[in-house]
Formats: sequence, C-alpha cells, structure tokens
Amino acid sequence: MSRRPKISLTEEELVRGLRQREKVAAEALYDMYSASLYGVILRIINDEPSAEDVLQETFIKIWQSFSAYSAEKGRLFTWMVNIARNLAIDKVRSKDFKNQTKNQELENNVTFIDEQRNTVYKPELLGLKDLVQTLKQEQRSILDLVYFKGYTHVEAADELGVPLGTVKTRLRMAIQQLRKQF
Amino acid sequence: MEDISAYIESGILELYVLGDVTPDERQQVEAAAIKYPKIKAELDAIEKAMESYALEQAIEPSEHQRNRVLNSLLTNLADDKIFTKARIYTDDEDAKVVQLPARSVNFYKYGFAASLFLLVISIVAIIGLYGRLKQSTELITSLQSQNQRFSSQVNLMDGQISVLRDHSFRFIKLKGTPKAPASALTVAWSPQKKKVMIDMEGMKMPANDKKHQYQLWAIVAGKPVDLGLFDVKADTSGMKEMKAVEQPQAFAVTLEPRGGSVNPTMDAMMVISNI
Repeated sequence: MSRRPKISLTEEELVRGLRQREKVAAEALYDMYSASLYGVILRIINDEPSAEDVLQETFIKIWQSFSAYSAEKGRLFTWMVNIARNLAIDKVRSKDFKNQTKNQELENNVTFIDEQRNTVYKPELLGLKDLVQTLKQEQRSILDLVYFKGYTHVEAADELGVPLGTVKTRLRMAIQQLRKQF
Repeated sequence: MEDISAYIESGILELYVLGDVTPDERQQVEAAAIKYPKIKAELDAIEKAMESYALEQAIEPSEHQRNRVLNSLLTNLADDKIFTKARIYTDDEDAKVVQLPARSVNFYKYGFAASLFLLVISIVAIIGLYGRLKQSTELITSLQSQNQRFSSQVNLMDGQISVLRDHSFRFIKLKGTPKAPASALTVAWSPQKKKVMIDMEGMKMPANDKKHQYQLWAIVAGKPVDLGLFDVKADTSGMKEMKAVEQPQAFAVTLEPRGGSVNPTMDAMMVISNI
C-alpha cells in the first residue's frame, strides 16, 4: 500500500472544521496530532496495545467533547494533550492494567516495582532525544514526574522530598530550558 | 495584580498548562490572561514549548491505527446524526482535501460485485423471456395461417352460397346411366351469365384413377361440347366452375383418358340429364 498523503490544516481551520463535525477535520486532526499524542501516551503507559487503546479513547473524547474547547483558553494541543495524559494516567493506575502488567512480568516483580517507584530519568525508557538531555537532572526528573507519571506538583514535592516552591521553580526552569531549545 | 512578573515567576502558569491546578487557580489564571497581555503571551510561549517538546518526541502509531480511530469517530458521527458534509477547501486556505482511497475502493468493490450479480440475473431473465417470445411468435404465425385458411374458406363458401342466392342459376340434376346407376351430379347453369358450375361436394361419383378423368359435356344443337375436366377424390368438396356454354340441351359426364377427348366416349357415360 502506497503512503497516504497526510492532511494538514491551519489550527484555526481545523477548529472550525471540528466544530462543524466535518469528516476531513477528523482526518486532519489525526494526521496532525496522532504522533505527538501517541508519543506522550506511550511514554506514560509503556505498553503498545494499551497505548493504542488509549490513543483511540483520546480521539473519541476529543471528538465528543469538542464543544468544551475554547481557543481563548489556550492552544488546541494543550487541551488535547491534557485529555490524552489524563486517560493514559487513569489507564496506568487502573486495577486491570496493573494486574495485566504483573501477570506479564511476574518474574521481574521486584524490577517492576522498582521501576514504578523510580523517578530517575531513563533515556532508554522515555526515548528522549539529545535535545532534551540538555535539561539538568533535577529539571528532567520533575518534568518526568508531572508530565509522564501524572504526579501533581504536591505529590512530586513529597516524592522528591523538596519544598513545594522548589518543585514549581524547577518545573518552570525545565520549561524555560525547553523554550530556549525550540 | 500588583506584580505580574512575580506571578509569572511563581510557576503557576506552567502548572496551569500541565493541568495541575485547582479550579480556583484555573479561573484566576484565565482571568489574568484576559487582563494582562504579558501573561497571555507567557502562557502561549509555555504551551508552544510543551507542544514542540511533544512533537520532538512524537512516535508514529502503526498505520492501521488511523482507520481504527477514524472509524470509531465516524461511527460516532452516524450516531450523532449531526455530521455535515465536508466543505470544499480552496487553495487560498492552504489546505489539501484528500479523498479516502480505501473507502472508495471498497465502494467500487461492492458496486462491481452487485453489478455482476445483476448482470447474471438479467441474462437468466433474458434467456427465459427469449424462449417465451419465440413460443409466442410461433403461436402467432400458426394462428395467422389458420386465420388465412378460415378467411379463404369463408370467401369460397360465400361464393358458393351466392350461387344459391342467384336466381338466374338453374340446378340441373344429372342421373346415373345403366353403367353407373348410383351416380348423381348437380350442375348449376346461369343462362344470363353463361356460367356453369358443378357441385363437387354433393356429387355421387366413383373416384377416378390416375389414368382417367371425368369430362363434362353439353349437348348444343345435337352436338357434344367440351365443358372441361374434373377429378373425383374421396375428400373432394366445394363447387367448381366449368367452361361457359350457351343454350345447352343436355349435360353429360363421361370418363375419358386423362387429358380429355375431343369427342365423348359414349360407352363411358356416367350421368346425363336433359334440360
């Protein structure tokens, strides 16, 4: 099968199309954002079949609750990635998913628990590119916790054993760093 | 808000973008963004950074996911029944409208199968109809020829009946000679029209063989005049017009060799009558 050309619209055009529930807008939405959203989801879930399920749920939720999105409150992607992250984090925390993972990795039980508690940045786990490796360890770990593990900053402060203000500052510094990169 | 910079520095905007704020904080940030363009700009920069970050780490889902996801959306569409047709995007809008090849291929596939099915049904129906048409045509042909036979028969009978109705005709009964006492023949003669007819159906004459024929004579002024030949078969019917004659004194029939004779063979006279 030959490669299908991807549909691309401006964000404004896309939002208008989604409001009117046009098919081409649904296709453009997928073509423009599926890879970005899947990258986030897969890093949170770390299991391809489950991540694919969550990707589907994410698009369904975006599509169904699109009337709730308002361009005044921010960028489309911010709204969508928060839906994706919430669904993915819910999935990881669900009983089913934990049982499934445990069954699969019964022998690596100890390692599994370690990984669950581990907040240290792991390139092989997250697959982050070199660009992001310029982040300091402390910045990466806080961004990792909040962005990929679904911790609130309060939980992250507790986890890392640092004051709340420090967590906020480090998070801001990490994002500042990213802003310089892009 | 006294110090916008301090508010920005607090990191609340990052938490807002990450969705890690209380509903109160959310409202506060949104209100501030509307009020202070600087905060709005800062929020925008954070969002763009996170979006680029996600794009940088994007992972392409497997190809079949696209159909799976889009199908689930489109199924949804059908349920909603508020799906509008795709608008046509112009080039000005810098957008490409790409047809979904897979769907149209499916459409043509099913369309082709349906066409083939209909074609087979049509051929079967046509063959059946052709057979019936042929039967009907044959029936019409046979009815037509039957009709022609009937109408010609009716014409013939009309002609015969008109002889009966014509008052100018006289009917002369010829009786059997001693040679053939059982024979009888009726001759119709019209003096005005000079017409002579013989009744083939009512005659009582033995059938002639292939070597002989009956010959009708009229006696005019004492001499026999040939009025023509006729055959008698078992199924002979109708009336036969013979040669015209004026003022006959008598009619007679002789059995002559096939082709007839110039003069009658008196020995072979079968029937005779005087007028």
